[in-house]
Amino acid sequence: MGAGGGFMLAESIKHPVEHLIPYAVPPEEFSSGIATWYNSICGMCPAGCGISVRTREGRAKKIEGNPSHPVNQGRLCALGQAGLQVLYNPDRLTAPMLQSGERGSGEFVQTTWNEGLSEVASRLSASTNNDGIYFVSEGVRGHLANLFELFMNELGSANLLHYDFAHPHSLYAANNHLFGERQLPYYDIRNSRYLLSFGADYLNDWLSPVHHGLGFGHSRQGNGDARGRFVQIEPRMSISGASADEWIPATPGSEGILALGIAQQILAGGNYQGTDADDWNAALATYSAAYVEDKTGVPADTVARIASEFSHAEPGLAIGGGAAGNHTNGVDTLVAVNALNYLVGNIGKPGGVVFNPDPVVGSSTAGRQANFAAMQDLAENARQGAIEVLIINNTNPLFTLPPGAGLKEALASIPLVVSLSSFMDETTAMADIILPSHTYLESWGDDMPQPGVGFSVGAVSQPVVSPLYNTRATGDIILGLAGKMGLGEAMGWDSMEDYIKDGWRNVYERSSPDAGGFDSFWREVLTSGAWGENTRNSNSVVIDKQVIDNIAVAEAEFSGNPDEYPFVLHPYLSTTLYDGRGANLPWMQELPDPMTSIVYGSWVELNPQTANEMGIQDGDLLRITSEHGSIEVPAVTFPAIMPDVVAMPIGQGHEEFGRYARNRGSNPIQILAPNMDAVSGSLATSATRVSLAQTGRRAAPVKTGGESRQLGRNIVQSTGADGDSAGHSAKLNSIPIVVDPA
Amino acid sequence: MNIMERFISSWQKYRKPGYYEDFDYAWTMSIDLDRCTGCSACVTACQAENNIPIVGEKELAKGREMHWIRIERYWEGEYPNAKLKFIPMLCQQCDAAPCETVCPVSATYHNQDGLNTQVYNRCIGTRSCAVYCPYEVRYFNYNSHHWDSPLDQQLNPDVSVREKGVMEKCTFCIQRVRQAKDHAKDDGRRRVQEGDIQPACVQTCPSEALVFGDRKDSNSKVAKSLADPRAYHVLDELNTLPSVVYLKKVDSDG
Repeated sequence: MGAGGGFMLAESIKHPVEHLIPYAVPPEEFSSGIATWYNSICGMCPAGCGISVRTREGRAKKIEGNPSHPVNQGRLCALGQAGLQVLYNPDRLTAPMLQSGERGSGEFVQTTWNEGLSEVASRLSASTNNDGIYFVSEGVRGHLANLFELFMNELGSANLLHYDFAHPHSLYAANNHLFGERQLPYYDIRNSRYLLSFGADYLNDWLSPVHHGLGFGHSRQGNGDARGRFVQIEPRMSISGASADEWIPATPGSEGILALGIAQQILAGGNYQGTDADDWNAALATYSAAYVEDKTGVPADTVARIASEFSHAEPGLAIGGGAAGNHTNGVDTLVAVNALNYLVGNIGKPGGVVFNPDPVVGSSTAGRQANFAAMQDLAENARQGAIEVLIINNTNPLFTLPPGAGLKEALASIPLVVSLSSFMDETTAMADIILPSHTYLESWGDDMPQPGVGFSVGAVSQPVVSPLYNTRATGDIILGLAGKMGLGEAMGWDSMEDYIKDGWRNVYERSSPDAGGFDSFWREVLTSGAWGENTRNSNSVVIDKQVIDNIAVAEAEFSGNPDEYPFVLHPYLSTTLYDGRGANLPWMQELPDPMTSIVYGSWVELNPQTANEMGIQDGDLLRITSEHGSIEVPAVTFPAIMPDVVAMPIGQGHEEFGRYARNRGSNPIQILAPNMDAVSGSLATSATRVSLAQTGRRAAPVKTGGESRQLGRNIVQSTGADGDSAGHSAKLNSIPIVVDPA
Repeated sequence: MNIMERFISSWQKYRKPGYYEDFDYAWTMSIDLDRCTGCSACVTACQAENNIPIVGEKELAKGREMHWIRIERYWEGEYPNAKLKFIPMLCQQCDAAPCETVCPVSATYHNQDGLNTQVYNRCIGTRSCAVYCPYEVRYFNYNSHHWDSPLDQQLNPDVSVREKGVMEKCTFCIQRVRQAKDHAKDDGRRRVQEGDIQPACVQTCPSEALVFGDRKDSNSKVAKSLADPRAYHVLDELNTLPSVVYLKKVDSDG
């Protein structure tokens, strides 16, 4: 009887209504069973690729590249593909929250938007000193960047910072120094015949990897018989190094000396005919073959050969970045790399360095980019009690700054920390008020990609699904705050959508004011997702004699003395997790690292010879110690790394950031010395020396790949450049098959 | 004729070269190893398109990876002359597929387009096909997989979610092939044309290393790839007649 009653009760409880189609009144373009595609902008890294998102029944199903966007031309990287897991992440913040316990205790209570915004607005209004208001955002462009400017302007504070761990500060500084252009130019890899890369992992994380991938493919096999040659100079082989024709290990920090050595050889070979040749000869006299070999470890005849190949390539292109730009002499190095481009005369030419026009909407944010020095200042100001309110937008400095910056401790002296984020990351966990933002797939926005592709490109991002939770677009949060503070006069837009649409009227005016009115123009931009204007700059560059005279590369400095700390630590952006932002995406955690096939973890790479001498086996748990801390990581032998360098991917080691990221692996940034590039003030991430010690424990990382050598199986076959010199038969189905006559 | 001779004779009949010429289409993928950068965009694109489960660290440690396309990497030489070569590996859609002959329930068979297809609800999970596959590209569901809500909202409604005990593998995005054929029919075209179909991996490939098409169309890019002097099949000596053709990497230093 009791059992029967229980059964009846269980059966009669109504199941929650499941919404197969999450619209009460579906939008016009919606029909069940048929996919709708929306063009938008990828928000996973600063490259700004265009995306087309496939939706079915109001849900996003697949992200593909937008074929009409000139940056990625329909293509996309793995991280871009995984954007769906940002939108549908189970660990998203779903409503505004107030800290209820002590800061950092992780205790929050939900609140309403009205209350959350009012609280922040009243604290902003009550601040006694306008410059006590700080706004630290991820790197944003377009109208959102303008809106931040406007908002901070209205508040009377100059303290607006854009902070991204991987922002190439030293490259901006170097371009400014040599060419007088504080911007990222377009590096035309597609049309170059010889790419000389100093540390820039351009196929993986540097500036605009998908666009570089397109260029790489074309240069390799898209030009008939003229196959581009790729040379990579770096202490540890990256993805780009593996794809290159030649990988050259050079002593960490000596890349700039090598570049000047190559430059000196170009001059000595009589391959530079400019009127300022004498100035260059004088400036580079120090960088003789013997000197360069001594400093870089690269044989003199290799330097001479590369100089000859590079100057005869027509056009050759030199790029620099990654670890080479992240030493204490980073700007010197990148200036030296730029000098190579100048000497072979590829500035402003196809296959060379093309400067981009100014953005069409939004202003350049180059002056707002916060380098390490700026973040240190921020921490110092906080300690002085000069910061009353700190607003953080979708950036995670507590994860990406070395503890030496002192930011975490400094937060204690800031009375109010507000975070605008979609996730509970390390920085958001320390906030007093969380105003959760939409993901990029739910927001309006626009973008002028940096670097562009040599001409003006604009793109608009639009929501592809209705918001999942009680979150708001970042722009709308700012407008909401402005409304609460009575800044309506200067910032009177109802929504971010209105603001962007307003701004794009200017673009309309300048492009085609008579073609059917703004509304049809706007619809066209939304449909194609991108707008372009063929205004290629044809700039030639003249370099001041004084600049040439002063070209030199200082010796790189390292933290820790070589006897105690024999290895240089080479941290690199993870292929799968970028700067750590991919760590909460299960697809990215499960994507094997292409170089090692490792999933779900951290590891330290060391040369097999070094490992052998120290008695270290693959999977031994090592303690890596620098002057600034220590971490434990399993060892992985890596055949293409210098014997006195150890490399570690950045991205794991989160303490927060959801179930997939938390307590997994370790973060090499935790042990970095707070060394800076002398000129740009950016963090010299490659300037830390470390020691290794066995812990006696094992913690082999999970690998998906099997045997890492071919063992005669001939799976990956190669051929010589001039045909089939490797001796493999190119004939398909070479074994004769006996056919049954019946 | 003893049993062995009979076996050899039927085997040869089955392996008559060119039998696939009778198919409607002969879908082929060409992979240019000189363009491939190992970036792994194809792997994630495939995972998104084909509802490939998240298996978790523990299962991966047991070798139970599920990616239908993977990047294999092979080191050559030692420091400082070490080289790393990548090769995307996926179901080769063999025309003489070893996996098909061993399935006791014909869960895997050849369809009218020359694709090696897997019927999930016919599969009984003997795993023989995976044993016979020389390319190691068949993946078995040791568990029923789970998507933490709301990750399941991303699942592609055009592709089934596989249950425990079922073998799965690359389908050349057969759902896209079907859809393109439907569209061609609706448009009044008789045949699907070059460019109508791009599997997810091909669509996303940044360096355009992956190309997909019908090799029966002599103007298609894949037909041209087959004629390229760099063309080869992986494990060609096994005579599996793969529908994936690789173009050799150019090693300019030897």
